[in-house]
Amino acid sequence: MEFLISGRIFGLICLLIIMLSVVYYMQRAKGGKVPKIRRVPGIDAIDEAIGRAVETGRPVFCSHGIGDMRDATYGPQTIAGLGVLSHVAAKCVEIGARLIVPCRNPEVWPVASDIVETAYKAAGKGNEFTIDDIKFLSPDQFGYSSNYLGLMVRENAGANIMIGAYWAESMQLAETGCRVGAMQISGTANQLQLPFFIVATDYCLIGEEIFAASAFLTGDLSQISSIAGQDVGRILGVLLMVVGAFLSTYVLQLLKW
Amino acid sequence: MAEILRRIEVPIGITIICTLLQILPYYFNIPPLLAVSDLFRRWMLLVARWATFVGAVTLMIVHSKNIQQQKKGWPLSIIVIGSIFLLMLPGLPLPEMGLGTKNAFFDYLFTYVYSPLGSTMYSIIAFFITSAAYRAFRARSVEAFLVLFAGILMIAKNAPIMTFLWPPFVPIGNWIYDVPNMATMRAVIIGAAFGAIALAVRTLMGSERGYLRGGREE
Repeated sequence: MEFLISGRIFGLICLLIIMLSVVYYMQRAKGGKVPKIRRVPGIDAIDEAIGRAVETGRPVFCSHGIGDMRDATYGPQTIAGLGVLSHVAAKCVEIGARLIVPCRNPEVWPVASDIVETAYKAAGKGNEFTIDDIKFLSPDQFGYSSNYLGLMVRENAGANIMIGAYWAESMQLAETGCRVGAMQISGTANQLQLPFFIVATDYCLIGEEIFAASAFLTGDLSQISSIAGQDVGRILGVLLMVVGAFLSTYVLQLLKW
Repeated sequence: MAEILRRIEVPIGITIICTLLQILPYYFNIPPLLAVSDLFRRWMLLVARWATFVGAVTLMIVHSKNIQQQKKGWPLSIIVIGSIFLLMLPGLPLPEMGLGTKNAFFDYLFTYVYSPLGSTMYSIIAFFITSAAYRAFRARSVEAFLVLFAGILMIAKNAPIMTFLWPPFVPIGNWIYDVPNMATMRAVIIGAAFGAIALAVRTLMGSERGYLRGGREE
């Protein structure tokens, strides 16, 4: 019986290279060497959106998508969205904005409410936390979206931050947010929904940017540096694609002859 | 004891153990580890099902409060609670009592109420797209002009009258879809995959704490 499962060894090597490069850059940052990483305008605009909502006396909406935390593809997007929620909650508590968190997934709802409640307690304002504002709307996709649309209109959303896994409801939410005049920041790695977010929201985080968002927002240099580590994986991926294309186009053809 | 359990290190430790239990058996053939990994997956399903129950209870509590305190729109909360019971009771998994997903009333509600409501919500996306497209298709910059131009070509490719008048719209539209569009989509997918791996590494190392109370202690 083999210790390593055949057919997965190369994948393991690639994963280890990416993991080690992420760890390397994180350790390097602890020694004061921080790689230069471009700013993402959408991430920088989050504080501005919250500030504008407060100025106009309107609530801030922050949602983390409709995915769960278990799925290999959509789970990381939900986790990224919750990371952003953590920053948004702290900021809202700091400047006294009302935060409304619409939730679709019952298993994510307790996590979201815990994040917001802790933000209040950490600021010494635990008694101001209102669990009713962490709204479990519906586990049904369109039940959730119809509730979310109604909430935005009724509460007159001042800012709408949507980072996570979204599907067909993305267009409905973004367009309604636009109609109520909310400053909107969106982000998803579901590539089919990106065009909708790009046209209907003020800022859109595209694909990998959502995973970098929580690292950026913590302001922790080692986390920010880990973003440079994933670039090693990207370079490796591009190299493998070029080599693969070359081999399949020329070398394999030659071997067939 | 309660104080220790509330410490942030506890959920971080659980996360690291659970992550390793899912990663290691994928690459290494260690039967005891695989058995524990399967057990954890079953636990996860149980937790998820219980969370659904908690969600339903939360919904009931919130709407009951609305009714009790006669908050704005409280009659709608009566409809929500009524609807939950209307669909839940005939759908209870008790086939010996004629209940469950094969119950005629449940089937009727699902087919003629629930499904059409879902379809209606889905179909209104068309109207949202139209108004969003109107805004997006204003050529205010070079990039916006490219979007407008590509959009017009794609509309022409999909409109039978246009392809009838000028057949080359079809190969042009197909090329836009298959080459620049596909290349961009793949770049997004590959980038997102690497981003997710970096997030997983940060989570595994316990440095990504945003999803755990924002990494804060109460």
